[in-house]
Amino acid sequence: MASSEQVAEKPWLGARMARKEDLRLVTGKGQYIGDIVLPRMAHAVFVRSDYAHARIRSIDTAAALAVPGVIAVITGQDLVDDVRTMPQPVLLPNLPAKYPTFSALAIDKVKFHGTPVALVIARHKYIAEDASELVEVDYEELPVVTDPEAALEAGAPVINEDHDDNEIFAMTFTGGETEQEQIANAKAVDEVFANADVTIKKRFRVHRTGLTPMEPRGVLCDWSEADGLTAWITTQRPHIDRLALIDLLDIPADKVRVIAPRDQGGGFGVKAPFFRENVVIAHVARKLRRPVRWVESRHESLMNVGQERDQINDLEIAASNDGTLLAFRNHGVADNGTGETGVYWGFVMPFLGAVELPNTYTWQKADVHLRVAVTNKACITPSRAFGHFPTRFAIERAIDMVAHKLGMEPAEVRRKNLITELPYTSVTGEFYDSGDLIKLWDNLMAQVDLKEFRTEQAAAREEGRYIGIGYATGVELSGMASEVLVPMENQPGYGAATVRIDPRGAVLVFGGDAPQGQGHETSVSQVVANAFGTNPKDTVTVEGDTGTTPFGSGTIGARGASYFMSAVHNACVEIKQKICRILAHDFGVEGSYEDFEFANSEVVYLADPSLRKTFRQAVERIIMHPINMPVGEVGGLEATVYFEAPEQMVCFNADLCIVEVDINSGEFDILKWVSSEDVGNVINPLIVDGQMQGAIVQGLSNTIFEEFIYDEQGQQLTADFENYKIANAADTPNIDITYASTPCPHTPLGTRGIGEGRPASVPGALTNAICDALIPFGIEITELPLRPDTLWEKLQAARGDR
Amino acid sequence: MEMNEEIRINAPRERVFAALNDIEVLRQSIPGCEKLDALSATEYEGTIVSKVGPLKARFTGGVTLSDIIAPQSYTLTGEGKGGPAGHARMRTEIILEEHEGATLMKYAVKAEIGGKLAQLGGALIDRTAKKLAGVFFKNFEALLSDADQTVE
Repeated sequence: MASSEQVAEKPWLGARMARKEDLRLVTGKGQYIGDIVLPRMAHAVFVRSDYAHARIRSIDTAAALAVPGVIAVITGQDLVDDVRTMPQPVLLPNLPAKYPTFSALAIDKVKFHGTPVALVIARHKYIAEDASELVEVDYEELPVVTDPEAALEAGAPVINEDHDDNEIFAMTFTGGETEQEQIANAKAVDEVFANADVTIKKRFRVHRTGLTPMEPRGVLCDWSEADGLTAWITTQRPHIDRLALIDLLDIPADKVRVIAPRDQGGGFGVKAPFFRENVVIAHVARKLRRPVRWVESRHESLMNVGQERDQINDLEIAASNDGTLLAFRNHGVADNGTGETGVYWGFVMPFLGAVELPNTYTWQKADVHLRVAVTNKACITPSRAFGHFPTRFAIERAIDMVAHKLGMEPAEVRRKNLITELPYTSVTGEFYDSGDLIKLWDNLMAQVDLKEFRTEQAAAREEGRYIGIGYATGVELSGMASEVLVPMENQPGYGAATVRIDPRGAVLVFGGDAPQGQGHETSVSQVVANAFGTNPKDTVTVEGDTGTTPFGSGTIGARGASYFMSAVHNACVEIKQKICRILAHDFGVEGSYEDFEFANSEVVYLADPSLRKTFRQAVERIIMHPINMPVGEVGGLEATVYFEAPEQMVCFNADLCIVEVDINSGEFDILKWVSSEDVGNVINPLIVDGQMQGAIVQGLSNTIFEEFIYDEQGQQLTADFENYKIANAADTPNIDITYASTPCPHTPLGTRGIGEGRPASVPGALTNAICDALIPFGIEITELPLRPDTLWEKLQAARGDR
Repeated sequence: MEMNEEIRINAPRERVFAALNDIEVLRQSIPGCEKLDALSATEYEGTIVSKVGPLKARFTGGVTLSDIIAPQSYTLTGEGKGGPAGHARMRTEIILEEHEGATLMKYAVKAEIGGKLAQLGGALIDRTAKKLAGVFFKNFEALLSDADQTVE
């Protein structure tokens, strides 16, 4: 090609570029919610119930109000006239459930330990904190239900009294829409089980655990007569929060602006719901006509959010002697907590968990039932691996049990049953667009010599050392198409971006989502540099401000590289097309988009590379000198593009873990952890590696350490990091991330969204490895958390039996 | 929280039992007791200031004595509210046995603790409960032996 000497390669897609965000973040220059200070800003502290279930007899705020510096103390009664009860339609999924109606500050009764009952607003945070201890609430205790199965029993105390029982949501998936179809399918599943060579049946239980963003939640609201409400919220979805505030406060749509701060210290799903605290702070700012800020304490955070998993799954699998998986049956019971959290209401997580049961394997039939119970605990909030951490643990453990029963290698059983023909619709109706699972699996197994490992394992056992190998695979949604997100969460799935070219050649990108550490500024700048042949440093990304960005449903469910980046790219292409049309006119040549190359900050006419302009000259001509234009063209360079993929996209992963267990103490060491990832084309491998490593560590931490504990009275006993232990660097093994990617055919750059569901395959791989190590003792792990002491007890029991 | 302990008190069983029902002895023995009033022979109410880890709280509440079989056993049930620090409810079964001229007192405490107190962690609560019980019996024994000396 004649232009090859003049036009350089485009190096930016796939470049392991250091993150643009990191310099300010690691030098203490990040701008978090706690860094935003407004004149006359007041500070708010919530008074929260110390009972799990109780009627509020009275609330005495007099002593708190008397403290010098206290501006106001409000209770649920103060909201009655000015704030609508939740839920409002924008916060409701299109799923049939028994949604609780409630006030943002509890009025009649409290339903979990930590329910907000009052708010103290003071000139200083410490004054508010001290005065909050003087608010006296008189409670009348009610019977407490903390066990989801007990909550579903007839006669259990009903927690959400606007309904008859505690079942907030139930689902039966037996392969049909009508009752007749479902009965026929259930019968067909029964037949498969009756005729199968082997079946297994186990109860799998995963405790209440989830994610703990380093930065807790926060809200800062300001009110002005001219502009109405401006709300800074730590949130993954500012546009959805804005709609919720409009509805709940009954404010005209032109008078509400929500801004997610530029820097947020992690979200992982925890900042995706609309929280009741948001509307209380907004109401108070409007009422007091001054800025009010609430920054959550760690104690509050651990009591209110980041709690998830918490499911019991009674799973049965039928298989053939050759290791073919035939059918499964699952009865799940999930602990929802109160259900008082906007957008998700708790049950949306276990719902998706049930849908994702089939994982990466082919099944002929499935029969899935789910019941979700309201209990006197904090409502579960989304936490990366949304709903499917427990179901994937169950299915991956169960597959190993099938393999043991058949005397087959678990690796062989997995490979034999992987989905090979994509696109594929799973037995529960989930669509998998593309990918190559065999390539992914073989890449994983190439990281270890299994035959040699088995020899080593046998030799080690002779020496009294117990090593084992375990695997698990995973599928996760790469963003959610509107077809999935509208029914699930009542909102669109498209990605949205505005790309605006500055007359001097800089590129401004506005996105409707709100990252919390995903490195969007870096990835966007690489996508833009790839499109315009400019330098990533010349791109500025603005997200999170509903006043300046196009509508987006938020940074949730791995939408970044799938939807948002695709919208950015397509907007760049639209702008490039206009530049090319105008340059062709200026050069007096025939030609369009395909006839020009954008590289090295230049735009080059390929057929005659002497016809070229710098990118800056080109854009300056169009923006600043829109004269002598082609017919029908006007000046200016800006495009807003909404990207909707034609299909629901997914990405895949597989994990391999090797452990050594000390049979005398129950302690175990992870000797090797290697992953294989199919993430489509990668924009920045450094960011993707980080996503995977972080997710795997979070999965390990959930599996081994973290556990939210409630006592029988519903007292939450784990509200600090002494009692809620999360993994630290010393607890973390070396993790090798390897890639066997297939470009995604449905995105313009072949990228897939990654990272959301990634922790889900971790508990399966780890526990499978431990059970493999302990085969001589016949130990099967079916419950999490997995701690050395529980393993020691199992070992003691097994060794006593021998 | 559960606690099962026994302690040897160097006094005859009848004296120990009587002292345990003597509001003045109790007032002086209970660590941090600010106030203790008898509402009836079997109902007391009062205020205790207690420090558990970083939390210092004033608990207001009452106790009731029941299942009294003098001088060998009785049951104490009570609850206290400590404002922002939390609340507690307990049931204690007490058995007094004669033991070589002295008294062996066995007590089994079952407590439900709520609020911030509960979140300090079981280990800290257990340690504090044992410490407070220890202080109580030290005071109690000292009062009994003072009384002995007064008698002599």
